[in-house]
Amino acid sequence: MSLLAETGAQRPTDPLLEIYLERRGNLVRYFAARCGSPGVAEDLAQELYVKIATRDTTVTADNPVALIYRIANNVMLDRARGEARSLARDAAWRRVTHATVGDEDVAELAPADEAVASRQRLRQLVEAAGDLPPRQQHAFRLHKLEGKSHAETARVMGISVKSVEKHVSAALKALTVRLGR
Amino acid sequence: MNLSWRYGDEARRDDAAAWVVRLEAGSLGETEAAAFDAWLSAAPGNASAFDAALAVSQAYAAAGPVVAHQLSQRRAVPLRHELRRRAIVGFGAAAAAAALAVVIAPELTGPATDTYVTAKGERRTVRLQDGSTIDLNGGTRLAVALARDGRYVTLSEGQAVFDVAHAARRPFYVAAGDRTVRVVGTQFDVRRLAGKVSVTVARGAVEVRPAAGAAGKTYRLHPGQRLDHQEGAPSVQVATAAPDEVLAWRTGRLVYRGQPLSEVIADLNQQYATPIRIEDTALAATPVSGVLVLDSQDAVIRRLALLVPIHAVRSGPGLVLKRDPA
Repeated sequence: MSLLAETGAQRPTDPLLEIYLERRGNLVRYFAARCGSPGVAEDLAQELYVKIATRDTTVTADNPVALIYRIANNVMLDRARGEARSLARDAAWRRVTHATVGDEDVAELAPADEAVASRQRLRQLVEAAGDLPPRQQHAFRLHKLEGKSHAETARVMGISVKSVEKHVSAALKALTVRLGR
Repeated sequence: MNLSWRYGDEARRDDAAAWVVRLEAGSLGETEAAAFDAWLSAAPGNASAFDAALAVSQAYAAAGPVVAHQLSQRRAVPLRHELRRRAIVGFGAAAAAAALAVVIAPELTGPATDTYVTAKGERRTVRLQDGSTIDLNGGTRLAVALARDGRYVTLSEGQAVFDVAHAARRPFYVAAGDRTVRVVGTQFDVRRLAGKVSVTVARGAVEVRPAAGAAGKTYRLHPGQRLDHQEGAPSVQVATAAPDEVLAWRTGRLVYRGQPLSEVIADLNQQYATPIRIEDTALAATPVSGVLVLDSQDAVIRRLALLVPIHAVRSGPGLVLKRDPA
Protein backbone atom coordinates (compact mmCIF):
# COMPACT_ATOMS: atom_id res chain seq x y z
CA MET A 1 0.00 0.00 0.00
CA SER A 2 1.39 3.35 -0.95
CA LEU A 3 1.64 6.12 1.58
CA LEU A 4 3.13 8.48 -0.93
CA ALA A 5 1.27 11.55 0.20
CA GLU A 6 2.44 11.11 3.75
CA THR A 7 6.04 10.14 3.20
CA GLY A 8 6.67 12.84 0.62
CA ALA A 9 9.43 15.38 1.19
CA GLN A 10 7.01 18.21 1.86
CA ARG A 11 5.73 18.57 5.40
CA PRO A 12 2.09 19.57 5.41
CA THR A 13 1.39 23.05 6.65
CA ASP A 14 -2.33 22.53 7.09
CA PRO A 15 -3.03 22.28 10.84
CA LEU A 16 -5.72 19.66 10.26
CA LEU A 17 -3.19 17.50 8.43
CA GLU A 18 -0.76 17.93 11.32
CA ILE A 19 -3.43 16.69 13.69
CA TYR A 20 -4.24 13.81 11.35
CA LEU A 21 -0.61 12.69 11.30
CA GLU A 22 -0.42 12.88 15.07
CA ARG A 23 -3.60 10.84 15.44
CA ARG A 24 -3.13 8.44 12.59
CA GLY A 25 -2.68 5.41 14.88
CA ASN A 26 -5.89 6.24 16.71
CA LEU A 27 -7.79 6.67 13.47
CA VAL A 28 -6.57 3.33 12.14
CA ARG A 29 -7.83 1.74 15.36
CA TYR A 30 -11.18 3.46 14.92
CA PHE A 31 -11.49 2.15 11.37
CA ALA A 32 -10.28 -1.33 12.35
CA ALA A 33 -12.95 -1.67 15.03
CA ARG A 34 -15.66 -0.33 12.72
CA CYS A 35 -14.73 -2.44 9.67
CA GLY A 36 -13.29 -5.58 11.24
CA SER A 37 -10.21 -5.61 9.01
CA PRO A 38 -6.76 -4.07 9.53
CA GLY A 39 -6.14 -3.94 5.77
CA VAL A 40 -9.32 -2.00 5.08
CA ALA A 41 -8.51 0.26 8.04
CA GLU A 42 -5.18 1.24 6.46
CA ASP A 43 -6.91 1.96 3.15
CA LEU A 44 -9.50 4.11 4.86
CA ALA A 45 -6.86 6.04 6.77
CA GLN A 46 -5.14 6.76 3.46
CA GLU A 47 -8.40 7.85 1.90
CA LEU A 48 -9.10 10.07 4.88
CA TYR A 49 -5.74 11.78 4.37
CA VAL A 50 -6.65 12.57 0.78
CA LYS A 51 -10.08 13.86 1.83
CA ILE A 52 -8.53 16.17 4.42
CA ALA A 53 -5.80 17.36 2.06
CA THR A 54 -8.31 18.22 -0.67
CA ARG A 55 -11.08 19.63 1.50
CA ASP A 56 -12.46 23.15 1.34
CA THR A 57 -10.08 24.87 3.77
CA THR A 58 -12.41 27.80 4.37
CA VAL A 59 -14.47 25.47 6.54
CA THR A 60 -13.01 25.53 10.05
CA ALA A 61 -14.04 23.76 13.20
CA ASP A 62 -13.91 24.54 16.90
CA ASN A 63 -12.76 21.03 17.59
CA PRO A 64 -10.46 19.82 14.82
CA VAL A 65 -10.25 16.26 16.21
CA ALA A 66 -14.03 15.97 16.10
CA LEU A 67 -13.98 17.30 12.54
CA ILE A 68 -11.46 14.65 11.49
CA TYR A 69 -13.66 11.91 12.91
CA ARG A 70 -16.67 13.41 11.15
CA ILE A 71 -14.80 13.18 7.84
CA ALA A 72 -13.68 9.66 8.84
CA ASN A 73 -17.33 8.61 9.23
CA ASN A 74 -18.07 10.03 5.78
CA VAL A 75 -15.16 8.12 4.25
CA MET A 76 -16.62 4.89 5.68
CA LEU A 77 -20.09 5.76 4.41
CA ASP A 78 -18.76 6.47 0.91
CA ARG A 79 -16.95 3.19 0.87
CA ALA A 80 -19.96 1.23 2.11
CA ARG A 81 -22.13 2.82 -0.62
CA GLY A 82 -19.55 2.05 -3.30
CA GLU A 83 -19.28 -1.54 -2.12
CA ALA A 84 -23.03 -2.03 -2.05
CA ARG A 85 -23.23 -0.74 -5.62
CA SER A 86 -20.49 -2.90 -7.06
CA LEU A 87 -21.66 -5.91 -5.07
CA ALA A 88 -25.16 -5.59 -6.44
CA ARG A 89 -23.73 -5.15 -9.91
CA ASP A 90 -21.68 -8.27 -9.99
CA ALA A 91 -21.71 -10.29 -6.82
CA ALA A 92 -21.41 -13.61 -8.59
CA TRP A 93 -18.51 -12.50 -10.70
CA ARG A 94 -16.55 -11.19 -7.73
CA ARG A 95 -17.02 -14.34 -5.74
CA VAL A 96 -16.06 -16.56 -8.60
CA THR A 97 -12.93 -14.72 -9.66
CA HIS A 98 -11.85 -14.52 -6.09
CA ALA A 99 -12.38 -18.22 -5.67
CA THR A 100 -10.67 -19.48 -8.77
CA VAL A 101 -7.34 -17.81 -8.04
CA GLY A 102 -6.20 -21.06 -6.54
CA ASP A 103 -7.20 -24.10 -8.48
CA GLU A 104 -8.48 -26.94 -6.35
CA ASP A 105 -9.15 -28.25 -2.89
CA VAL A 106 -5.49 -27.93 -2.20
CA ALA A 107 -5.59 -24.17 -2.38
CA GLU A 108 -8.16 -24.06 0.39
CA LEU A 109 -6.48 -26.48 2.73
CA ALA A 110 -4.25 -24.91 5.34
CA PRO A 111 -0.88 -26.62 5.76
CA ALA A 112 -1.00 -29.34 8.42
CA ASP A 113 0.82 -27.43 11.16
CA GLU A 114 -1.32 -24.36 10.57
CA ALA A 115 -4.43 -26.52 10.78
CA VAL A 116 -3.26 -27.92 14.12
CA ALA A 117 -2.47 -24.44 15.41
CA SER A 118 -5.86 -23.14 14.35
CA ARG A 119 -7.60 -26.12 15.94
CA GLN A 120 -5.79 -25.40 19.18
CA ARG A 121 -6.68 -21.75 18.90
CA LEU A 122 -10.29 -22.66 18.28
CA ARG A 123 -10.33 -24.89 21.35
CA GLN A 124 -8.98 -22.03 23.43
CA LEU A 125 -11.69 -19.73 22.12
CA VAL A 126 -14.41 -22.27 22.90
CA GLU A 127 -13.08 -23.04 26.39
CA ALA A 128 -12.66 -19.40 27.32
CA ALA A 129 -16.17 -18.53 26.14
CA GLY A 130 -17.58 -21.63 27.85
CA ASP A 131 -16.21 -20.51 31.21
CA LEU A 132 -17.92 -17.11 31.14
CA PRO A 133 -20.74 -16.54 33.64
CA PRO A 134 -24.08 -17.59 32.07
CA ARG A 135 -25.55 -14.14 31.34
CA GLN A 136 -22.31 -12.82 29.88
CA GLN A 137 -21.93 -15.97 27.83
CA HIS A 138 -25.48 -15.75 26.52
CA ALA A 139 -25.13 -12.09 25.51
CA PHE A 140 -21.69 -12.63 23.99
CA ARG A 141 -22.89 -15.61 22.06
CA LEU A 142 -25.99 -13.96 20.62
CA HIS A 143 -24.18 -10.76 19.69
CA LYS A 144 -20.65 -11.78 18.81
CA LEU A 145 -21.01 -15.38 17.65
CA GLU A 146 -24.44 -15.30 16.07
CA GLY A 147 -24.19 -11.75 14.81
CA LYS A 148 -27.33 -10.32 16.41
CA SER A 149 -27.40 -6.57 17.03
CA HIS A 150 -27.43 -5.19 20.56
CA ALA A 151 -31.16 -4.48 20.20
CA GLU A 152 -31.97 -8.02 18.99
CA THR A 153 -29.85 -9.53 21.74
CA ALA A 154 -31.67 -7.38 24.30
CA ARG A 155 -35.03 -8.57 22.96
CA VAL A 156 -34.04 -12.25 23.06
CA MET A 157 -32.67 -11.97 26.60
CA GLY A 158 -35.46 -9.71 27.82
CA ILE A 159 -33.03 -7.09 29.15
CA SER A 160 -32.11 -3.51 28.18
CA VAL A 161 -29.65 -2.59 25.43
CA LYS A 162 -27.46 -0.98 28.11
CA SER A 163 -27.32 -4.29 29.97
CA VAL A 164 -26.38 -6.11 26.78
CA GLU A 165 -23.48 -3.69 26.26
CA LYS A 166 -22.44 -4.24 29.85
CA HIS A 167 -22.51 -8.04 29.58
CA VAL A 168 -20.70 -8.10 26.23
CA SER A 169 -18.03 -5.66 27.46
CA ALA A 170 -17.48 -7.66 30.64
CA ALA A 171 -17.24 -10.85 28.57
CA LEU A 172 -14.77 -9.33 26.15
CA LYS A 173 -12.63 -8.03 29.00
CA ALA A 174 -12.51 -11.45 30.68
CA LEU A 175 -11.71 -13.18 27.37
CA THR A 176 -8.96 -10.68 26.58
CA VAL A 177 -7.34 -11.23 29.97
CA ARG A 178 -7.49 -14.98 29.54
CA LEU A 179 -6.48 -15.30 25.89
CA GLY A 180 -3.99 -12.44 25.92
CA ARG A 181 -1.61 -14.34 28.15
CA MET B 1 -15.25 6.39 30.71
CA ASN B 2 -13.14 6.16 33.83
CA LEU B 3 -10.25 8.59 33.80
CA SER B 4 -9.59 9.06 37.53
CA TRP B 5 -6.11 9.41 38.99
CA ARG B 6 -6.21 5.82 40.18
CA TYR B 7 -6.47 4.62 36.63
CA GLY B 8 -4.92 1.17 36.66
CA ASP B 9 -4.80 -1.94 34.48
CA GLU B 10 -8.19 -3.15 35.65
CA ALA B 11 -9.98 0.06 34.71
CA ARG B 12 -7.96 0.28 31.52
CA ARG B 13 -9.15 -3.17 30.45
CA ASP B 14 -12.73 -2.26 31.32
CA ASP B 15 -12.55 0.82 29.14
CA ALA B 16 -10.75 -0.93 26.29
CA ALA B 17 -13.43 -3.63 26.10
CA ALA B 18 -16.21 -1.04 26.40
CA TRP B 19 -14.78 1.05 23.54
CA VAL B 20 -14.40 -1.99 21.29
CA VAL B 21 -17.98 -3.07 21.97
CA ARG B 22 -19.25 0.48 21.48
CA LEU B 23 -17.35 0.97 18.19
CA GLU B 24 -18.34 -2.37 16.74
CA ALA B 25 -21.98 -1.47 17.26
CA GLY B 26 -21.82 1.73 15.17
CA SER B 27 -19.96 4.88 14.27
CA LEU B 28 -19.40 7.45 17.00
CA GLY B 29 -20.76 10.97 16.94
CA GLU B 30 -18.15 13.74 16.87
CA THR B 31 -18.08 14.36 20.60
CA GLU B 32 -17.87 10.71 21.49
CA ALA B 33 -15.23 10.15 18.80
CA ALA B 34 -13.13 12.96 20.25
CA ALA B 35 -13.48 11.34 23.69
CA PHE B 36 -12.38 8.00 22.25
CA ASP B 37 -9.39 9.64 20.63
CA ALA B 38 -8.49 11.40 23.86
CA TRP B 39 -8.73 8.16 25.82
CA LEU B 40 -6.43 6.34 23.38
CA SER B 41 -3.78 9.05 23.79
CA ALA B 42 -4.31 9.65 27.52
CA ALA B 43 -1.99 6.90 28.75
CA PRO B 44 0.65 4.82 27.00
CA GLY B 45 -1.04 1.53 27.83
CA ASN B 46 -4.48 2.44 26.52
CA ALA B 47 -3.86 1.87 22.82
CA SER B 48 -2.32 -1.57 23.39
CA ALA B 49 -5.16 -2.55 25.75
CA PHE B 50 -7.57 -1.53 22.98
CA ASP B 51 -5.61 -3.54 20.39
CA ALA B 52 -5.66 -6.63 22.61
CA ALA B 53 -9.43 -6.45 23.16
CA LEU B 54 -10.06 -5.77 19.46
CA ALA B 55 -7.93 -8.75 18.41
CA VAL B 56 -9.88 -11.09 20.71
CA SER B 57 -13.19 -9.68 19.55
CA GLN B 58 -12.26 -10.15 15.90
CA ALA B 59 -11.00 -13.68 16.52
CA TYR B 60 -14.43 -14.59 17.91
CA ALA B 61 -16.23 -12.82 15.10
CA ALA B 62 -14.22 -14.78 12.51
CA ALA B 63 -14.87 -18.13 14.16
CA GLY B 64 -18.40 -17.24 15.38
CA PRO B 65 -20.54 -20.11 14.09
CA VAL B 66 -17.95 -22.78 14.86
CA VAL B 67 -17.43 -21.53 18.40
CA ALA B 68 -21.20 -21.28 18.89
CA HIS B 69 -21.65 -24.84 17.68
CA GLN B 70 -18.91 -26.28 19.87
CA LEU B 71 -20.12 -24.29 22.86
CA SER B 72 -23.57 -25.77 22.45
CA GLN B 73 -22.13 -29.28 22.38
CA ARG B 74 -20.23 -28.58 25.58
CA ARG B 75 -23.34 -27.69 27.46
CA ALA B 76 -25.98 -30.08 26.22
CA VAL B 77 -28.14 -30.97 29.20
CA PRO B 78 -29.87 -34.36 28.84
CA LEU B 79 -32.61 -33.58 31.35
CA ARG B 80 -34.02 -30.76 29.32
CA HIS B 81 -33.81 -32.15 25.85
CA GLU B 82 -37.48 -33.17 25.61
CA LEU B 83 -38.46 -29.59 26.22
CA ARG B 84 -36.02 -28.27 23.66
CA ARG B 85 -37.10 -30.70 21.03
CA ARG B 86 -40.64 -29.41 21.33
CA ALA B 87 -39.41 -25.84 21.07
CA ILE B 88 -37.85 -26.67 17.72
CA VAL B 89 -40.96 -28.29 16.35
CA GLY B 90 -42.78 -25.11 17.26
CA PHE B 91 -40.37 -23.04 15.19
CA GLY B 92 -41.04 -25.08 12.07
CA ALA B 93 -39.03 -24.33 8.99
CA ALA B 94 -38.01 -20.83 9.99
CA ALA B 95 -34.33 -20.02 9.76
CA ALA B 96 -34.52 -19.12 13.43
CA ALA B 97 -34.69 -22.82 14.18
CA ALA B 98 -31.07 -23.16 13.12
CA ALA B 99 -30.01 -21.08 16.10
CA LEU B 100 -32.01 -23.25 18.44
CA ALA B 101 -31.09 -26.49 16.78
CA VAL B 102 -27.49 -26.35 17.90
CA VAL B 103 -28.58 -26.50 21.52
CA ILE B 104 -29.42 -30.15 21.06
CA ALA B 105 -26.54 -32.59 21.24
CA PRO B 106 -26.67 -34.84 18.15
CA GLU B 107 -26.14 -38.02 20.13
CA LEU B 108 -29.34 -37.38 22.04
CA THR B 109 -31.77 -36.68 19.28
CA GLY B 110 -30.05 -36.91 15.92
CA PRO B 111 -29.61 -33.73 13.95
CA ALA B 112 -32.60 -31.45 13.51
CA THR B 113 -33.71 -31.00 9.93
CA ASP B 114 -34.58 -27.56 8.66
CA THR B 115 -36.58 -27.16 5.49
CA TYR B 116 -36.28 -24.07 3.32
CA VAL B 117 -38.76 -23.23 0.60
CA THR B 118 -38.84 -20.31 -1.81
CA ALA B 119 -41.84 -19.16 -3.82
CA LYS B 120 -41.59 -18.59 -7.59
CA GLY B 121 -39.35 -15.61 -8.23
CA GLU B 122 -38.22 -15.40 -4.60
CA ARG B 123 -34.50 -15.63 -3.89
CA ARG B 124 -33.20 -16.25 -0.44
CA THR B 125 -29.84 -16.70 1.29
CA VAL B 126 -29.60 -19.12 4.19
CA ARG B 127 -26.61 -19.11 6.51
CA LEU B 128 -25.98 -22.44 8.18
CA GLN B 129 -24.47 -22.92 11.60
CA ASP B 130 -21.30 -24.43 10.12
CA GLY B 131 -20.54 -21.20 8.27
CA SER B 132 -21.77 -22.42 4.89
CA THR B 133 -24.29 -20.39 2.92
CA ILE B 134 -26.94 -21.50 0.48
CA ASP B 135 -28.49 -19.16 -2.08
CA LEU B 136 -31.88 -20.51 -3.10
CA ASN B 137 -33.33 -19.62 -6.47
CA GLY B 138 -37.11 -19.26 -6.89
CA GLY B 139 -39.34 -22.33 -6.66
CA THR B 140 -36.81 -24.29 -4.62
CA ARG B 141 -37.26 -26.70 -1.75
CA LEU B 142 -34.40 -28.15 0.23
CA ALA B 143 -33.80 -29.70 3.63
CA VAL B 144 -30.66 -29.36 5.75
CA ALA B 145 -29.44 -31.58 8.57
CA LEU B 146 -26.13 -30.77 10.24
CA ALA B 147 -24.82 -33.87 11.96
CA ARG B 148 -21.51 -34.45 13.64
CA ASP B 149 -20.19 -36.80 10.97
CA GLY B 150 -21.47 -34.85 8.00
CA ARG B 151 -23.72 -32.14 6.65
CA TYR B 152 -26.69 -33.39 4.64
CA VAL B 153 -28.80 -31.43 2.19
CA THR B 154 -31.62 -32.78 0.08
CA LEU B 155 -32.57 -30.68 -2.92
CA SER B 156 -36.09 -31.81 -3.80
CA GLU B 157 -36.66 -29.23 -6.48
CA GLY B 158 -35.16 -26.08 -7.90
CA GLN B 159 -31.70 -24.58 -7.89
CA ALA B 160 -29.21 -23.42 -5.28
CA VAL B 161 -25.63 -22.25 -4.98
CA PHE B 162 -23.74 -23.81 -2.09
CA ASP B 163 -20.81 -22.01 -0.55
CA VAL B 164 -19.48 -24.67 1.75
CA ALA B 165 -17.32 -23.91 4.79
CA HIS B 166 -14.30 -26.17 4.82
CA ALA B 167 -14.48 -29.02 7.36
CA ALA B 168 -12.46 -32.07 6.34
CA ARG B 169 -14.08 -34.38 8.85
CA ARG B 170 -17.62 -33.24 8.15
CA PRO B 171 -18.26 -33.74 4.44
CA PHE B 172 -21.12 -31.86 2.88
CA TYR B 173 -23.57 -33.95 0.84
CA VAL B 174 -26.24 -32.69 -1.52
CA ALA B 175 -28.74 -35.28 -2.71
CA ALA B 176 -30.56 -34.31 -5.91
CA GLY B 177 -32.73 -36.96 -7.47
CA ASP B 178 -30.69 -40.11 -8.06
CA ARG B 179 -27.34 -38.31 -7.75
CA THR B 180 -25.41 -37.28 -4.65
CA VAL B 181 -22.80 -34.52 -4.59
CA ARG B 182 -20.07 -34.84 -2.00
CA VAL B 183 -17.79 -31.93 -1.08
CA VAL B 184 -15.39 -30.83 1.58
CA GLY B 185 -15.32 -27.07 1.09
CA THR B 186 -16.20 -25.33 -2.14
CA GLN B 187 -18.71 -23.30 -4.09
CA PHE B 188 -21.03 -24.92 -6.58
CA ASP B 189 -24.49 -24.76 -8.12
CA VAL B 190 -26.96 -27.64 -8.10
CA ARG B 191 -30.16 -27.62 -10.07
CA ARG B 192 -32.93 -30.22 -10.27
CA LEU B 193 -35.72 -29.32 -12.63
CA ALA B 194 -38.05 -31.47 -14.70
CA GLY B 195 -36.10 -34.66 -14.04
CA LYS B 196 -32.78 -33.16 -15.00
CA VAL B 197 -29.91 -32.68 -12.53
CA SER B 198 -27.03 -30.25 -13.23
CA VAL B 199 -24.01 -29.51 -11.08
CA THR B 200 -21.59 -26.65 -11.83
CA VAL B 201 -18.44 -26.09 -9.76
CA ALA B 202 -17.06 -22.59 -9.14
CA ARG B 203 -14.36 -23.42 -6.62
CA GLY B 204 -12.80 -26.48 -5.02
CA ALA B 205 -13.83 -29.89 -6.28
CA VAL B 206 -16.89 -32.07 -5.83
CA GLU B 207 -17.78 -35.68 -6.45
CA VAL B 208 -21.05 -36.63 -8.09
CA ARG B 209 -22.08 -40.19 -7.51
CA PRO B 210 -25.22 -42.24 -8.13
CA ALA B 211 -27.54 -42.42 -5.13
CA ALA B 212 -27.90 -45.84 -3.52
CA GLY B 213 -29.59 -48.13 -6.03
CA ALA B 214 -29.08 -45.84 -9.04
CA ALA B 215 -26.89 -46.83 -11.96
CA GLY B 216 -23.81 -44.97 -13.17
CA LYS B 217 -20.27 -43.97 -12.32
CA THR B 218 -18.80 -41.44 -9.91
CA TYR B 219 -17.34 -38.26 -11.40
CA ARG B 220 -15.01 -35.74 -9.85
CA LEU B 221 -15.73 -32.19 -11.06
CA HIS B 222 -13.26 -29.32 -11.02
CA PRO B 223 -13.84 -25.55 -11.22
CA GLY B 224 -15.38 -24.60 -14.54
CA GLN B 225 -16.94 -28.03 -15.12
CA ARG B 226 -20.59 -28.81 -15.36
CA LEU B 227 -22.30 -32.18 -15.15
CA ASP B 228 -25.74 -32.78 -16.69
CA HIS B 229 -27.74 -35.88 -15.98
CA GLN B 230 -31.21 -37.09 -16.93
CA GLU B 231 -32.68 -38.85 -13.92
CA GLY B 232 -33.06 -42.59 -14.43
CA ALA B 233 -30.39 -42.71 -17.13
CA PRO B 234 -27.05 -44.32 -16.23
CA SER B 235 -25.01 -41.76 -18.14
CA VAL B 236 -23.98 -38.17 -17.47
CA GLN B 237 -22.46 -35.45 -19.65
CA VAL B 238 -19.55 -33.42 -18.39
CA ALA B 239 -18.74 -30.17 -20.19
CA THR B 240 -16.89 -26.97 -19.48
CA ALA B 241 -19.00 -24.10 -18.17
CA ALA B 242 -18.39 -20.56 -16.99
CA PRO B 243 -19.36 -20.66 -13.31
CA ASP B 244 -19.94 -16.92 -13.17
CA GLU B 245 -22.57 -17.31 -15.86
CA VAL B 246 -24.22 -20.30 -14.23
CA LEU B 247 -24.28 -18.51 -10.88
CA ALA B 248 -25.53 -15.22 -12.35
CA TRP B 249 -29.14 -15.94 -11.39
CA ARG B 250 -28.24 -14.74 -7.91
CA THR B 251 -27.95 -11.23 -9.30
CA GLY B 252 -31.11 -11.51 -11.35
CA ARG B 253 -29.59 -12.54 -14.68
CA LEU B 254 -29.69 -15.75 -16.67
CA VAL B 255 -26.79 -16.39 -19.04
CA TYR B 256 -27.00 -18.95 -21.84
CA ARG B 257 -24.53 -20.28 -24.36
CA GLY B 258 -26.33 -22.64 -26.65
CA GLN B 259 -28.63 -24.27 -24.06
CA PRO B 260 -31.92 -25.56 -25.49
CA LEU B 261 -34.93 -23.27 -25.23
CA SER B 262 -36.64 -25.88 -23.01
CA GLU B 263 -33.98 -25.25 -20.35
CA VAL B 264 -34.53 -21.50 -20.54
CA ILE B 265 -38.25 -22.06 -20.09
CA ALA B 266 -37.62 -24.34 -17.08
CA ASP B 267 -35.53 -21.53 -15.54
CA LEU B 268 -38.19 -18.90 -16.22
CA ASN B 269 -40.85 -21.12 -14.70
CA GLN B 270 -38.91 -20.94 -11.41
CA GLN B 271 -39.27 -17.16 -11.51
CA TYR B 272 -42.85 -16.40 -12.50
CA ALA B 273 -46.21 -17.67 -11.32
CA THR B 274 -47.63 -17.90 -14.88
CA PRO B 275 -46.29 -21.16 -16.36
CA ILE B 276 -44.80 -21.17 -19.85
CA ARG B 277 -45.01 -24.25 -22.10
CA ILE B 278 -43.62 -25.23 -25.49
CA GLU B 279 -45.49 -27.86 -27.45
CA ASP B 280 -43.31 -27.76 -30.55
CA THR B 281 -40.43 -30.18 -29.70
CA ALA B 282 -38.18 -28.88 -32.48
CA LEU B 283 -38.62 -25.37 -31.13
CA ALA B 284 -37.89 -26.62 -27.58
CA ALA B 285 -34.51 -27.90 -28.77
CA THR B 286 -33.51 -24.58 -30.39
CA PRO B 287 -30.21 -23.40 -28.86
CA VAL B 288 -30.29 -20.06 -27.02
CA SER B 289 -27.32 -17.75 -26.43
CA GLY B 290 -27.63 -14.46 -24.56
CA VAL B 291 -28.30 -12.77 -21.26
CA LEU B 292 -31.79 -12.38 -19.83
CA VAL B 293 -32.31 -9.79 -17.12
CA LEU B 294 -35.11 -10.95 -14.85
CA ASP B 295 -37.69 -8.25 -14.32
CA SER B 296 -41.30 -8.66 -15.49
CA GLN B 297 -42.32 -11.84 -17.28
CA ASP B 298 -43.67 -9.90 -20.27
CA ALA B 299 -40.42 -7.98 -20.66
CA VAL B 300 -38.34 -11.16 -20.37
CA ILE B 301 -40.38 -12.91 -23.05
CA ARG B 302 -40.05 -9.85 -25.31
CA ARG B 303 -36.28 -9.99 -24.89
CA LEU B 304 -36.22 -13.74 -25.39
CA ALA B 305 -38.07 -13.17 -28.68
CA LEU B 306 -35.06 -11.15 -29.85
CA LEU B 307 -32.86 -14.24 -29.39
CA VAL B 308 -35.23 -16.90 -30.75
CA PRO B 309 -38.05 -16.42 -33.29
CA ILE B 310 -40.96 -16.92 -30.90
CA HIS B 311 -44.08 -15.26 -29.60
CA ALA B 312 -46.27 -16.08 -26.60
CA VAL B 313 -49.93 -17.02 -26.80
CA ARG B 314 -52.17 -17.09 -23.75
CA SER B 315 -53.65 -20.54 -23.17
CA GLY B 316 -55.68 -21.45 -20.08
CA PRO B 317 -53.76 -20.44 -16.95
CA GLY B 318 -50.43 -20.14 -18.75
CA LEU B 319 -48.55 -19.10 -21.86
CA VAL B 320 -47.54 -21.20 -24.83
CA LEU B 321 -44.48 -20.24 -26.87
CA LYS B 322 -44.95 -20.61 -30.63
CA ARG B 323 -42.56 -20.28 -33.50
CA ASP B 324 -42.97 -17.06 -35.51
CA PRO B 325 -44.39 -17.66 -38.96
CA ALA B 326 -41.54 -17.76 -41.47
